[in-house]
Amino acid sequence: MAEVWNLFISVFVNVLIWIYDVVGNNFGLAIILFTILIRIVTWPLNAQQMKGAAAMQALQTDKDWQAIQKKYAKDKEKLAQEQMRVYKEKGINPFGSCLPTLIQFPIIIALYQSIIRALASTPLDLLKLSRSISLPNVSDLIPLNSNFLWMDLGRPESVAIFGFALPTLAVIVAITTYIQAKLTMPASTTPGDQSAAMSGMMSIYMPLLLGYFALTFASGLSVYFITSNILGIVQYAMQGKANWRNLIPGFLKKK
Amino acid sequence: MRKKFVFVITILLGAVLLSACAGGPVHGTTWPGLATDENMAYLADGAFVYAISLGDGREVWRYPGERNAKLVFYSTPAITPDGLIIVGSAGTDHSLFALNPNDINPETNAPAEAWKFTGAKDYWVAPPLVVNNKLFAVNSDGNLYILDLQDGKSVKDATVIELSGRLWAKPTTDGERVYITSLDHSVVAVDATTHKILWNENLGGAVPGSAVLGEDGMLYVGSLASQVERFDPATGRHEPVLDAENWVWNTPALDGDTLYFGDVDGNFYSFNTSTGSSNWNPVKPDGPITASPLVLGDSILIATESGSIYQVSKDGQSRLWSQPGGQIYTTPVQAGDLILVTPLGTEAYLYAYKQDGSPAWQPFTPEN
Repeated sequence: MAEVWNLFISVFVNVLIWIYDVVGNNFGLAIILFTILIRIVTWPLNAQQMKGAAAMQALQTDKDWQAIQKKYAKDKEKLAQEQMRVYKEKGINPFGSCLPTLIQFPIIIALYQSIIRALASTPLDLLKLSRSISLPNVSDLIPLNSNFLWMDLGRPESVAIFGFALPTLAVIVAITTYIQAKLTMPASTTPGDQSAAMSGMMSIYMPLLLGYFALTFASGLSVYFITSNILGIVQYAMQGKANWRNLIPGFLKKK
Repeated sequence: MRKKFVFVITILLGAVLLSACAGGPVHGTTWPGLATDENMAYLADGAFVYAISLGDGREVWRYPGERNAKLVFYSTPAITPDGLIIVGSAGTDHSLFALNPNDINPETNAPAEAWKFTGAKDYWVAPPLVVNNKLFAVNSDGNLYILDLQDGKSVKDATVIELSGRLWAKPTTDGERVYITSLDHSVVAVDATTHKILWNENLGGAVPGSAVLGEDGMLYVGSLASQVERFDPATGRHEPVLDAENWVWNTPALDGDTLYFGDVDGNFYSFNTSTGSSNWNPVKPDGPITASPLVLGDSILIATESGSIYQVSKDGQSRLWSQPGGQIYTTPVQAGDLILVTPLGTEAYLYAYKQDGSPAWQPFTPEN
């Protein structure tokens, strides 16, 4: 298993270094382009996520479903059973909207390890890197330039403003993750709607979690998060599926 | 409820997995630094610098007295003429410490800090070079810091020479000039007195090892361009003298007019600097070679990543000398009749051998 994972990391490292070489030794740009590549590869997952969210939204206006909700309003167990039956009948996967996000975790972990391995901050890391690379003339490129804009991509980021170290990337990561999660959240008018509850939970925990990662880990990972989030937002907006009203807290409840 | 549980567990698992690969370099994650004086071995390995008695392998002191999450040590300690131990941290604290082994705190059993230099911006990998009461210390921030050791007590200010790239190797000197190698593929000569940069040459590959001065007055440098180059120290003019099969990581060892070095493919070379030719076909022990060879009388010891030490005669015959196991990246050190070896991936941190390869004392393992 460890060998398979190592191979997975090696593929990431080689692609990253290849892009780094092509774009003129800019590792930040390499991460951004690599993220775009990952978004293209994971396109079917994102499409499934959008399809799941759309199906969930359509279900909220379904008259049969509304009747079931009314009928079993006081019996939550029965309502849950009926909900699963309806999901099955209509071919809706209740995890369809959040599973693709969770599947990103292995990619995030692999990317993080790839960044750390590619930037090689210790002698042993640099030696390990030599075993990961199967590109020709790599000794011309090594060590990689880890500077991008104001960041050292191999280290956590902060900007000193009036003597305070402000984690600007962590804030941007949290905000863009929140926006993306909210835009894709299905509208729900049902108090017991578990999928909506799950999405609601995601929209709170994911920004906090990814913000924490951005605060703690190499800023190269933050560049991935931000790029991925922006691409996600643009993708939803372009397809007209972004639910902008969700961005305002409490909007649905008031309605 | 079950879905929420699965969701939370997945998030936590992701956090744990990501955290697991974010730890700083501690014991076992990169190779240790090892130096000796007459009585003691100084081992920089993870959270501590250990002073170990050469007589019996017992720990005499360690620094810091208690684990400090900001401090990580793997730079080889340097010893000044007045007996201070100089070692830099590779943790988030980028200080260079001067430890006084004659002033031990009885409560913590740690040496006092005679002084510390806090002006570096990044972590320390290279040991500093001591020349005529001056300390030439290179840092991963790409700077050469020159500290005056006359004072010996106060916190230091330094003359800063801005170079470039990560500087991981100990500078070399002929007394007149100081030669610095860099991971940005360059070798730089700095005037030891005026501190002016005299020349700066590119080798086409990173240089993680030091330059070495030959008997012929020339400078020899190995690089990740898989070559050893010869430099004219006065002008910086250089030419490749030998192509290796792969990266030359280590500092070549000189014995008279013979240069010994290994590569990460596990080839060991012997090159005659007078004739400009190899003495024999490369010897191939059992693994990659990153440590520098140790010339030991009539033979040479080479350590491999496979955890073995081979003894090679000067006519190119090799035999397995000892096998502590793990992976050996740090150059073995001779201290009197002892040969000290510090592998990674073994329970013990330091092994001591007699000249015939038999153990001298029980391998050193810290108690906590």
